[in-house]
Amino acid sequence: MVGALLLTIVLAPSAAIVLILLARRPRLAEGLNLAASVIAFLAALALPALSLTGAHVYWASYIILDPFGAWVILCSAIVYLLASIYAIGYMRLLEEEDSLPRFYALFAGFGLTTLVGPMMNSAGLYWIAIELTTLVSAFLVAFERAPESIEAAWKYIIVVSGGISLALLGTVLFYWAGSFVLGPHYDMTWAVLRGAAPQMNPAVLLLAFLLVLVGYGTKVGLAPMHTWLPDAHSEGPAPVSALLSGALLNTAMVGIVRYLAIIEAAHPGPLPRLVLVVLGAFSLFVAAMFIVRQRGIKRLMAYSSVEHMGIMALGFGFGGVLGVAGALYHMLNHTLNKSLMFFGAGSMMRSYQTKDIGAIRDVGRRFPVVGALWLAGAVAITGAPPFGLFASEFTILRAGLRGPQVWAAIVMALLLIVIFIAFLNHFREMYFTPTPAEAEPAPARPVGAWCAVPMWLALVPLLVFGLWWPEAIWQYFGAIAHGLTPSSGVIGTGL
Amino acid sequence: MTRDILLQIAQVLAVLLLAPLLQGIILQFEERVQRAQGPGIFQPYRDLRKLFHKQIVLPETASWLFWIAPVVAFTAMMTVPILIPVLTNFPLPLSDMGDILGGGLILTLGGFMITLAGLDSGSAYGGIGSSRAVMLAILAEPTLILVFVGITLLAKAMLPFVVNHLLVAQPAVYWSPAHLFLVAAFFVLLLVETDRLPIHSSTHVEVYMIEEGRILEYAGPLLALLRWASMMKQFILYTIFCNVLLLPWALSIEGTAIGALGAAAALMFKFTLVGCAVVVVETTQSRLRFYRYQEPLAASFLLAVLAIIGTQLS
Amino acid sequence: MLVAHLSPLAASLFSLIAIASLLLAFVMLGSRWLRHYLYAFALESWLIAALSAAVGYYGQYPELYLIAVLTAVFRGCLLPYLLLRIVRRLNVARELHVVVQASSSLVIGAFAVVFALVVATHIGDTLGLGGTVVVLALTVMLSMKLIGFLMLTVRHEAISQILGLLVLENGIFLGSQILVPGMPLLLEIVILFDLLIIVACFGLLVQYLISHVGTTSSLKLRRLVG
Repeated sequence: MVGALLLTIVLAPSAAIVLILLARRPRLAEGLNLAASVIAFLAALALPALSLTGAHVYWASYIILDPFGAWVILCSAIVYLLASIYAIGYMRLLEEEDSLPRFYALFAGFGLTTLVGPMMNSAGLYWIAIELTTLVSAFLVAFERAPESIEAAWKYIIVVSGGISLALLGTVLFYWAGSFVLGPHYDMTWAVLRGAAPQMNPAVLLLAFLLVLVGYGTKVGLAPMHTWLPDAHSEGPAPVSALLSGALLNTAMVGIVRYLAIIEAAHPGPLPRLVLVVLGAFSLFVAAMFIVRQRGIKRLMAYSSVEHMGIMALGFGFGGVLGVAGALYHMLNHTLNKSLMFFGAGSMMRSYQTKDIGAIRDVGRRFPVVGALWLAGAVAITGAPPFGLFASEFTILRAGLRGPQVWAAIVMALLLIVIFIAFLNHFREMYFTPTPAEAEPAPARPVGAWCAVPMWLALVPLLVFGLWWPEAIWQYFGAIAHGLTPSSGVIGTGL
Repeated sequence: MTRDILLQIAQVLAVLLLAPLLQGIILQFEERVQRAQGPGIFQPYRDLRKLFHKQIVLPETASWLFWIAPVVAFTAMMTVPILIPVLTNFPLPLSDMGDILGGGLILTLGGFMITLAGLDSGSAYGGIGSSRAVMLAILAEPTLILVFVGITLLAKAMLPFVVNHLLVAQPAVYWSPAHLFLVAAFFVLLLVETDRLPIHSSTHVEVYMIEEGRILEYAGPLLALLRWASMMKQFILYTIFCNVLLLPWALSIEGTAIGALGAAAALMFKFTLVGCAVVVVETTQSRLRFYRYQEPLAASFLLAVLAIIGTQLS
Repeated sequence: MLVAHLSPLAASLFSLIAIASLLLAFVMLGSRWLRHYLYAFALESWLIAALSAAVGYYGQYPELYLIAVLTAVFRGCLLPYLLLRIVRRLNVARELHVVVQASSSLVIGAFAVVFALVVATHIGDTLGLGGTVVVLALTVMLSMKLIGFLMLTVRHEAISQILGLLVLENGIFLGSQILVPGMPLLLEIVILFDLLIIVACFGLLVQYLISHVGTTSSLKLRRLVG
């Protein structure tokens, strides 16, 4: 059953890619992509419940489905679905019908690679999946062929490839450390590495973990390795930005969390978690500084992504049931919320024909419904109740105040206040400052239904998850947290 | 014992008397390669004899430093052959007076005095030559020290004789990357310190002069002493390069007279080989711009560092 | 563990190949002409292929012969050929405005190698393998990584940056041949093909750079700030 579902998740976008490239008709391409995303979503919806029965290993132990992976796949599938719906409306506005099949083929490929990443059992194959996501998304970022887009894609691919090569070095060093315990030939799966970790050399383990943290941290967007993120997220088309923020960063986080679990099994002292917490706090700081002075609407959203990845890193770094649960809930809520924000930003960009915050005015008056949705999303993403991000951030703060790095929790709280003020100040500018009387209002193109529906679909669950944190999900997170801590000595129950 | 003292004196005399011959050979090769007739390999001897028959002329603005500098340089160059293996591969009396670093120090002392003398007379060309020479020294000395450190780490001793024995006895060390990198680094330094292209041009235009600029004010016997000192410096550097690093064979083991003469002849043969290589490098290169002098020296520095790392890993 | 039981001849052969690769990385760092980079890179890839074959011979890993042949063909011939085609189309022969002088970057690279040596010696001592080829392999791997990053920072031509990334990968590959020759074959082959795809994508992006931005020098790519 689980195997069939996994196969569906992989085959649906692949089939879509092949058919899109064969048919090369825009409407058909849109429809195929949407169908693939719906199928993948439905399949992924069933996965978390099924994965609780234990880790399922397939295909000569190269594919694994454990609770953590299932959750990340679900988040990726959600954003893939929402972005596919939005892309239909958005890409029609570009009025380049000929390049649409290529776009949707790349889009489906991108979705496929982000869905496949958490399934990888071998650390080396996981690295290859991440590398493939970089390659496919670089072409999506450069899709519009403007000089800024190509510059952003170039910077993206150079910085991230350099960072990921560090992760490859870390992977090789992990394998080497393991070869002292397990012999020269062995399958480098997460469970095997975790089992052998207590006997591995601590110096090599620490060096390997730091390399992996910096390497995959580049992909996640933790400061100071985040420099590609604002450019890539702001220059790609809006559905691509949503998928980048919502799916890709989560997939890269999977690697960091799994390697953290491996090194924690060797009881290395406080250093690995401390480094992760420091990186998370620094990401928050950098994001806060740049949000205060931001002038571009999509770059603002990109720095918000940096901020939330920092919060997630803090959550995983604090550890324990509270920290991990908070971080995982944050993953889901951030995915929904960031998609909402990017959809709104994309629609506003297309309507006002500008990316500058200063040039977007009177949003509330011109777009009553979509504007209200977007404003609600802005309030949500800065962590205000009653939305889901408040609940997850609060949980992470609780975890931080209990653990050894109390300073990080205090810094996080302070910076969240700064970001709240700065972010909503920009929205106040856009919504509540009237256009000067002498300037003629820019022609405001209405936002189509294809673009508005995914925003509703993103906001409603966000509100629901903020008001009601289901008991079942708590227990699910508890199972994941239990699997990530080193006290569970049974190999094979999965992470 | 007396035989060793005689050999020591013979070493110094060999350096003193054969240095102009080496210079003559190199210059003759260069001229021949450029399809000119060449002045003959004994020309430096004739030049020195001519200069010694001239009158001493001192500038009015010069001080006591002016005539002491050539004397100090000449003496320093005569001291260094005591420390290095020239004719024999066993240490002779007073050869542990200084090790490799000490030898380098004395070599630099002579150059330093000449630089001061270039400034002493107050002429513009002397000043330019001295400042350029000092800049080259700043670039080249760290590399030279690193090469000496590398040699020391290779043999785990500071005496050049030990290095010589090691390289002869163990071919594995001779062909190790550390040794090969040291040879390459020292070759670049050899080109720099003996004023060959791509650093120094042999055309006597004042703008290019480094060596020549400093001694422009000298004439007569003092100039002869300076010229001889620079020829001896070249000979000594070639000796270190060949007898310690590159071709450590063909040195007298017993210390007999025939052995010493044979070693001297072998020495000139080795120098001829190295001289050919230097001439080939010089005629295939053009002179580098002044601000690009750092490039070959940076490469030499790098090779020295790699050599030191190579010694750590085997 | 392979490297604990190496004969001295094998150890010195590995040392020679590793240090020669490092030297070629420095040649790439210090040269200004793009063709010289490519030739040095091709030679370095051939050397690493020879290392694979040597490790396969001395350690009795027959699958490494296949890796050696694939490395020589793909990394040693195909990649430089693809890059050479890009260079010809680019009309750029050398770096015009350097950020850091070639000689200074050589010196910085030398310091990077010393740092790598310190780290590698420390790790080698904790493992009890200090003084063997392991320390050399770790040093060369880490220093080629640092030199690759140095190339990425001081070079501004697109091709030089691609080559910097490839030097990074070369370093990891070199280290993994000596340290973990038993890594699963599938992984090594997939990584090799992955590299090919990467270069193909880079080539396409460089095309876009030329046609839409008009320059491949990253000094001119300054539109996105803040």
